[in-house]
Amino acid sequence: MSEEQITKKVIEILRGYVKDASLLEKATGETHILKDLKVNSARLVDIIIKCEDVFGATIDDDEADRIATIGDAVALIQQKAA
Amino acid sequence: MEGRDRTLLGLQYVLGRLASLITAPLVFSAIWLRGYRIRDLRRIRSEVDRLQGEHEGPWLICPNHLTMIDSVLISYGMASMYGHVVRFKRVPWNLPERDNFQKNLFLAVMCYLGKCLPVNRGGSREELQRLFEKCRHVLGWRQSLLIFPEGGRSRTGRVNRENVSYGVGRFLTECPGCRVMLIYLRGDGQETYGTLPRFGERFTMQVEVFDPGTVDGAGLRLQRGYARRIVDRLVEMEEQYFAARG
Repeated sequence: MSEEQITKKVIEILRGYVKDASLLEKATGETHILKDLKVNSARLVDIIIKCEDVFGATIDDDEADRIATIGDAVALIQQKAA
Repeated sequence: MEGRDRTLLGLQYVLGRLASLITAPLVFSAIWLRGYRIRDLRRIRSEVDRLQGEHEGPWLICPNHLTMIDSVLISYGMASMYGHVVRFKRVPWNLPERDNFQKNLFLAVMCYLGKCLPVNRGGSREELQRLFEKCRHVLGWRQSLLIFPEGGRSRTGRVNRENVSYGVGRFLTECPGCRVMLIYLRGDGQETYGTLPRFGERFTMQVEVFDPGTVDGAGLRLQRGYARRIVDRLVEMEEQYFAARG
């Protein structure tokens, strides 16, 4: 799966957890999930678990702690898929 | 955890213990001056004393969260002033948000001496990691950590299943032998969240040991499973509270 496809899927996943969906319209790899999208930190765990389900990857605590931006999530998923 | 952090944490504990001769009477006086009372206080303290006698620690103390001083009231409800001084080890460590007290020097000193480990909301991953390390370290000392499973004060005034902080699940998975003590605290006049309870508030406090049982999965799923079970039980305790109140 290409980086663009993964990014699209991650943004779709985020849609279910963002209160203001319009914030996702300009989302890029640099977008900070907690600060820019105003996602509750507890929801970030739900998002990561959802990513595990969608991409069939297992993400451990240390890896999860490193996810701050959409790009971080995409890079991690790519790394897992490789 | 770095040696420097370990030393500073030890120093905080020792200074807190020494200062408890002053801080405990100050805090207890403030509670009395505000007119706060907890029903069946002697029975509750006796029950907590029995539980902490049976299992020295580590304990995760998980309460509901309505006001900025819940952790102070809970600590008051758990042990007498004498207990706070003589059994300082049993006084739980707290995780208050730094912005809530750091600007007031008196509060900052009291929090430091009262076993608080400040949280920077929105802080960096490294800061959060250091805080987790400190928490794990105090649990390793077989001490208690008070953590609000809802993360913050409930904006709905009721235990909020939608706002679960999974940190509590993380400590449970990473600290073998850690037991969970659930506490439900509510004043008669507390209909919603706030800064301080009203003057003369009378509180009901329920304490119980909770076994979250076995949860399927590993890693983040396991943490989420534990945290959700804890919050679900707090919801049940709340329902019992309102049913008894009529």
